[in-house]
Amino acid sequence: MAVQPATLNRRSFVYRELAALGATFREVNGCAVAATLAAGRAAEIAAARDLGLADLSGLRRGGYKGWTALDWLRGQGVAIGENNMTLKQGDGSRVARLADSEAMILGDLAGGSALLDRVEAGWSITGALGAYPVPRPETNFWFAIAGRHSDTMLAKICGVDLRPHRFPDGAVAQTSVARMSAIIIRHDLGATLGYDMIADSAAASYMWTSLQDAMDEFGGRPVGLDAIVALAAETGPA
Amino acid sequence: MMASRLPAPAGVLIDRSKPITFNFCGQDYTGFQGDTIASALAANGVGMLSRSFKYHRPRGLMTAAGQDANTLVQIGDEPNVLADLRAIEAGLAITAQNVFGSLANDYANVLDGLGRFLPVGFYYKTFFRPKGAWRYWEKLIRALAGLGKVDVGAHHGYYDKQYLFCDVAVVGGGAAGLAAAQAAAAAGADVILIEENVRLGGALNYARFDVEGRRGRGLRADLVPRIEADQNIRVLTGAFANGWFADHWIPVIQGNRMYKLRAGAVVIASGSYEQPLVFRNNDLPGVMFSSAAQRLIKLYGVKPGTRAVVATANADGYGAALDLLDAGVDVACIADLRPQRGDGPLADAVRDRGVPIVQGATVSEAIPQKGNLGIEAARVAKITGQGTTADVDDRFGCDLIVTAVGYNPTANLIHHAGGTFVYNDDTAMFELTALPQGMQAAGSVNGSFDIDAVIEDGGKGGWSAARNAGCKVGPMPTVRNDRGAFGVNHPWPIFPHPKGRDFIDFDEDLQVHDILDAIAEGYDDVELMKRFSTCGMGPSQGRHSSLNSVRLTARATGRSVTDTGTTTSRPPYAAETFGVLAGRSFEPERKTAMHHRHLELGARMMPAGQWWRPEYYGPPERRSLSIREEAAVVREAVGIIDVSTLGGLEVCGPDAAEFLNRVYTFAYAKQPVGRARYLLMTDQHGVIIDDGVACRLHDHHFYVTATTSGVGGVYQHMLFWNAQWRLQVNITNATASWCGVNLAGPKARDVLAAVCTDVDLSSAAFPYMAVREGTIAGVPARIIRIGFVGELGYEIHAPASQGEALWDALMVAGEPHGIRPFGIEAQRLLRLEKGHIIIGQDTDGLTNAIEAEMAWAISRNKPYFVGKRALAIQEKNGIKRKLVGFTLGNPADPAPKESHLVIRDGEITGRTTSVNYSYALGRTIGLAYVATDQAEPGTAFQIRIEKGRMIDAVVTKPPFYDPDGRRQEL
Repeated sequence: MAVQPATLNRRSFVYRELAALGATFREVNGCAVAATLAAGRAAEIAAARDLGLADLSGLRRGGYKGWTALDWLRGQGVAIGENNMTLKQGDGSRVARLADSEAMILGDLAGGSALLDRVEAGWSITGALGAYPVPRPETNFWFAIAGRHSDTMLAKICGVDLRPHRFPDGAVAQTSVARMSAIIIRHDLGATLGYDMIADSAAASYMWTSLQDAMDEFGGRPVGLDAIVALAAETGPA
Repeated sequence: MMASRLPAPAGVLIDRSKPITFNFCGQDYTGFQGDTIASALAANGVGMLSRSFKYHRPRGLMTAAGQDANTLVQIGDEPNVLADLRAIEAGLAITAQNVFGSLANDYANVLDGLGRFLPVGFYYKTFFRPKGAWRYWEKLIRALAGLGKVDVGAHHGYYDKQYLFCDVAVVGGGAAGLAAAQAAAAAGADVILIEENVRLGGALNYARFDVEGRRGRGLRADLVPRIEADQNIRVLTGAFANGWFADHWIPVIQGNRMYKLRAGAVVIASGSYEQPLVFRNNDLPGVMFSSAAQRLIKLYGVKPGTRAVVATANADGYGAALDLLDAGVDVACIADLRPQRGDGPLADAVRDRGVPIVQGATVSEAIPQKGNLGIEAARVAKITGQGTTADVDDRFGCDLIVTAVGYNPTANLIHHAGGTFVYNDDTAMFELTALPQGMQAAGSVNGSFDIDAVIEDGGKGGWSAARNAGCKVGPMPTVRNDRGAFGVNHPWPIFPHPKGRDFIDFDEDLQVHDILDAIAEGYDDVELMKRFSTCGMGPSQGRHSSLNSVRLTARATGRSVTDTGTTTSRPPYAAETFGVLAGRSFEPERKTAMHHRHLELGARMMPAGQWWRPEYYGPPERRSLSIREEAAVVREAVGIIDVSTLGGLEVCGPDAAEFLNRVYTFAYAKQPVGRARYLLMTDQHGVIIDDGVACRLHDHHFYVTATTSGVGGVYQHMLFWNAQWRLQVNITNATASWCGVNLAGPKARDVLAAVCTDVDLSSAAFPYMAVREGTIAGVPARIIRIGFVGELGYEIHAPASQGEALWDALMVAGEPHGIRPFGIEAQRLLRLEKGHIIIGQDTDGLTNAIEAEMAWAISRNKPYFVGKRALAIQEKNGIKRKLVGFTLGNPADPAPKESHLVIRDGEITGRTTSVNYSYALGRTIGLAYVATDQAEPGTAFQIRIEKGRMIDAVVTKPPFYDPDGRRQEL
């Protein structure tokens, strides 16, 4: 059901920009998420095959940091890979290992994360000595960048070699993007090249604008969450 | 110049179905899509493009490749556009540079006749005498100096940058580069091929390798499609590799974009620059390199003249002669500089076509048309020795002189990387002797001139680069020993004329005698000669002057060319604009959750680091009134200010209190849960670096605030120290995750109570310096009772995503109480009334806690904190200044400004740090550093304000307002 962002306490960091693009919002986790924009789902899916930008800031995410954080998470049944790699979990969540003492958990595209639900329920400040939550939903925006031009577009604002054959699916780069610290995770959507960008929520508007400027030459444009979900559901060639 | 278009296949770059009209110096011309400005003008019979820098001599096409300064023109506000590179566009309005009057009638050309009064280095010896003369000369020199006109009011263009990565970068898309790219890609390397021209192929596009003129086309047709079809190769045309930096970092400029290319290995296949023949009037329009004539014919289908004389010392001159003949140009004569007959099929073919060849001869002078606007004839004379010709010559009427006397490697990037070249007397050219690790050279830059050798050399270079980049390669390709370097360069193509105008450096109008005069003055090292004469310092950076000037220097100083050496080549390879260097402007900015609400309320926003904060609300013309009203509403009712930019750090773990005890000066070990305490951070020297509040939320958890600008440093400081202490503590910088507002004023509790029902807000249950967690209109919040502005106040921190909802709820709840938002200007006034310092404003990079009167925030009972020892020493040794409050001795005096000096007996004893007019108190108040013996309350001191006026001030103990603090503890 469509909602207006301002009717909910929790608001995306770029909801005004999305509203200006004709977004239709629906409530996810108490936040209005732009499901589609003015172009509509089909056009946005087509656009995102080339280059699309979506705001996923309303979706579940979290993180834990501390000298026992990884062990504690493993004890909660979380699979953790190598540093700067992401592992997909059984419930569709993904866990990115950011350091020997920190991991970030990204929920699924439907907005849920059974893993986060379980981990958060199992955490207490004394019970999880040395593992402390990082307020990712508030500290960071979460954008998805999709399409075959994604890596080239990102090369305009990021100095890391993100070419698909050098930066595999699930790889994590903790780097600088348009002069802001950011985490980039390769996350292909079905057969479509994709990246997550997670960075300072206070700079969401700046990054949204910077990305659109970088996307212009490729015909890239913002899309709604539905387009991202649709691409992720595809398994054939993009 | 008379010229006309040639039929296809000449003109591979132009589309004859797409005519384009443009304007040059006020006259319309028509060319075709694909034409450069210079080629289109040449097709219209316009040979003169500009005037020279010093003598204002007419200049025309010389290289047709963007390598010389002759073709620099102005397009609108863009100066120094290379007319032989820039494509024409409809409506383009182009003007000539270095012209006073018109291009055809330049009155500054009078300087050409005054050359003998302008010897080399004259500007070092002139203009400064007699004393005071410079101010008169300066105007004239400034009028004459510079190339083109810069529009200082020009709008910002759109430029950007992009990172590129590859295993192998190949610089140069000629035959060698194509072969190198292909070989590297075949080994599995990701290859980026960079070509400065718009069409791949280099000399294959225009040079003549065989009598029939098919070889170049055939090789190109074989190589280029394979390159274009290879998925491992990315081609950048019209792109300059403008330098080489460590680890194969290469800036590649294409249009308004700079690619920042990082390669695993590099192949330099940049070719070589054709070199000029030096004779009298060798700079006139109509004198051009053989490659330039061939480019005009093959690339643009332009007949370069009607009757030509070709001066050559190699086979390429004969190839050019054949092309001229095929284009319908009457070749009046070939002057072959070599003493023996040039052999080979190209020379034979020219001879067979009946062109007279004069062996052992050179063009000794170009006879100019009236006004030097072109050439009328060439004098051809026998060479009698190194640089000398017979007095008797033959005169050939012509409008075109084509020269082909050799090449100099385009070695810029190799020089940047530390490669070395040595002059070979046998080949009369500089040859590569050492390359840095991971760099290969191929083609003529590497001394390969035979086209088959060039391709082999390219293949080997690509193979080697792929291997260096870690690719699996096959057996090393073989290359022939004879790479065709002999008989290409003439050892002395310099024929000075007694009347001069025998140009060595065309950019700077330097003639043979200028170089010799510089050496005679003692500048006998090439680097000194270069700087004294400015040879090689013009836009073409010595491409065509370096080799001949070194030869002249060597002979004049009795050294070999090898011993003489060359000047240093530094980036950039080609001219680059500031726009390209700057790229797209990335200026990160951070906005609080309530940012748009501030705008809607008419806030004037100001930057605070990367953040935007409301300075005050209302139009600029009401600034003072708005600040006064905002301050008043806080004192009298309730105000709200966005403090989201304050730093927020989560310090968690069993050692959290111990950690804070060590990094801050106060005591936190016994701080109860639910209480807040002031924080003061000093560095190891006892210098104040930040302050804030520590809120204890759990035995293992403190929420720590920091200043807006200081939080980044505080976080690093904490991580640095705990990396050494290894306490059981985790620190997270959660600044962006928390928004914050300060709700302040006597009505603050009433406002909060309307929207916060799960926290007991009574003074007894929630006293000053307490912290509680609750919800405000459904928004989870941390609520701290602190009083920066000195009133009953609640600093409310909530999740950033809910900040706007929090703000809205408080504004609605505050409406019945007259709530108003206040900006940081009002806050600065209010806190000054309370005597609260702002770190960075009331402290500087040397302020210690004792000087700042912050000793009350230092716990002396704990064994250690960062800076404790330094502070103890400073206390023992005594301090020299102290921060005090002050009021003015005469309230009618103008208020000092911040950083006005405190002066006693002519000596500076301090400065003001904060000054404001307090409406609540009805007087000016401030903070200032003064000498310690001036710090007692009631002491008078003097402040020097604007225009040197001294005013009286009196030390007044803060707080100025509500000294007992009753209002904030309501």
